[in-house]
Amino acid sequence: MRVLLVEDDRMIAEAVRTALEQDGHVTDWMGDGAAALAALDQARFDIVLLDLGLPRKDGLSVLKQLRERGDATVVIIITARDDVKSRIAGLDAGADDYLVKPFDLDELAARMRAAVRRAAGRGDPVIAHGEIRLNPITREVHRAGTPVALSAKEFAVLEALLLRPGAVLSRSQLEDRLYGFGDAAESNAVEVYVHALRRKLGADAIRTQRGAGYFVPR
Amino acid sequence: MMRSIRGRLLLGLLLLVTVISLLAGAITYRGMLRETSNLFDYQLRQMALSMRDQASFMSGFTLPAHPGNSDFVIQIWDMFGSRTYFSRPGLPFLDKAILGYSDLTIQDQRWRVYAIATDSAVIQVGQPWSVREKLAGDAALRVLVPLLLLLPLMAAAAAWIVTRALRPLSVVTREIEHRDIHSLTPLAAPDLPAEVSPLVEELNRLLERLSDAFASQKAFVADAAHELRSPLTALSLHLQLLERARDEGERELATSRLRAAIERATHLVSQLLTLARNEPGAAPDAAIATELGQIAHQAAQEVQPLAQQRRIAIEFELPAEVSVKADEDALRILVRNLLDNAVRYSPEGSAVRVRTLHSPEGRGVLEVADRGPGIPAADRSRAFARFYRAPDAAPGGTGLGLAIVKAIAQRHGAEVTLADAPPHGLRVQVSFPPP
Repeated sequence: MRVLLVEDDRMIAEAVRTALEQDGHVTDWMGDGAAALAALDQARFDIVLLDLGLPRKDGLSVLKQLRERGDATVVIIITARDDVKSRIAGLDAGADDYLVKPFDLDELAARMRAAVRRAAGRGDPVIAHGEIRLNPITREVHRAGTPVALSAKEFAVLEALLLRPGAVLSRSQLEDRLYGFGDAAESNAVEVYVHALRRKLGADAIRTQRGAGYFVPR
Repeated sequence: MMRSIRGRLLLGLLLLVTVISLLAGAITYRGMLRETSNLFDYQLRQMALSMRDQASFMSGFTLPAHPGNSDFVIQIWDMFGSRTYFSRPGLPFLDKAILGYSDLTIQDQRWRVYAIATDSAVIQVGQPWSVREKLAGDAALRVLVPLLLLLPLMAAAAAWIVTRALRPLSVVTREIEHRDIHSLTPLAAPDLPAEVSPLVEELNRLLERLSDAFASQKAFVADAAHELRSPLTALSLHLQLLERARDEGERELATSRLRAAIERATHLVSQLLTLARNEPGAAPDAAIATELGQIAHQAAQEVQPLAQQRRIAIEFELPAEVSVKADEDALRILVRNLLDNAVRYSPEGSAVRVRTLHSPEGRGVLEVADRGPGIPAADRSRAFARFYRAPDAAPGGTGLGLAIVKAIAQRHGAEVTLADAPPHGLRVQVSFPPP
């Protein structure tokens, strides 16, 4: 998944970013509210981890502005404000979940998965599609009961496509999920990953919509 | 020792009224005695004169018909010294005569006597003093008795007035008695007597100050707890990353970050402690004559590691010794915090300037100027609030540095001002009162 981490505390941001990257997520870090909004303008994120006490523009304003412009990106608030009032205000402003500092990295990962699952309208954490089963928790993929070894990027492409079967994702949309702002993307990287996935999961697993992008058939 | 106002008032009042009554009686008695004396003396003389006149006209005395009924005693002597008349034969009386008025004691009874001489005889008229004293005593009693009869009435009235006057005090007492121990709201003080209301007003002022102090303590604890969350979060996250580390490289990185997180938490806690020690009301330490430049050098040594890491030179401009009255340790902490801020915010490779000087008013001034972004004029008053951090705050700060500087300065009666250091940068001046 592509994650936007909005956190003004450098140490906390470094830790969360490291953990997310270890889990195979592509993570961009912004240290203030205004930069976060600008980043959300430029790229699509699967999930935003949002601190509330931010310089320039506080987290709640960022969230409200995001929702006002019709952006339904999953947002989890991560803050030191643990009073009930702040939680209610955060959830009512459009947050999908609310996590209080200090928190556990595994809990954060679980909450991220749950929030994304809820947003996709699924109950089962394991994404099953035809012969393919993708487990976001263990990051394992099975084809007809046999484990398939995927690289982190391959996993990310497959997860993005499986989240909304039938929906076409363009190459740049897929690149958004694979690379952060600083990363240099190779021009044909997405094609390389799709090719590898077809080789491992079967040629029909991922289809190409000419001139538009890729999709998994319903 | 009587402690009750009411008891003291009553006792005082009763004693006063009694003394006044007795005095009034005594004065009346003396006055009456003098007046009756004058009157009776005149009467004595008139009686004697009238008898002399009768004697000279009629060559014989016309004596009172019933002299026994009178208070007066009359005695007449002939020229040979023998008594020719005595109105009260049974009574022992004088066997001599002093012309004019005289006071005599006969058988324990005091007499007032007037004697006058005629051609052939001496006429003596006398009256016991007791007659006059009784008259005066009666008059005194007529004054004294009603006053003494009024005494219980006055006592009752005084008790009632005092009780009524002190009732607001008992209302206040009850209110304090029944108050929740955590309540610091002012006491209601409806129409208190002028003697009591200053006490209640002072009490309310004290409550207000206490309430302010409690509120600021509460805010401090809440702020501190909130601010401790971030370093603790960083600590627990980096510890978790260390546990997860899959290879030596990750483990090394996680360990060094964990160490940095621990340093940060330690720094915050020690800054919090420093601030708490220098809060208003903290026990004052001994202030001695201290040279600002010397303290600046010591403080600079403490920030040297950070300065070296950022390649920042600390330059001194100490034209003359500037001595102020200060607690040396606190002053060093003040300067260290200023230098720490300056070094953190200055661009790498720049210089921080420390200057001491005497102001024209004779105040000792310490100045620290950096080449950092400065603080916009609009934010300068907020900059001293605890946990205030500039929007572009350099990492590693706690937001407590300037709060500590201010607290220490206040303890020394010094003023802290923030200004621009052209072309850009912050100039902090700490100005101490003349020693």
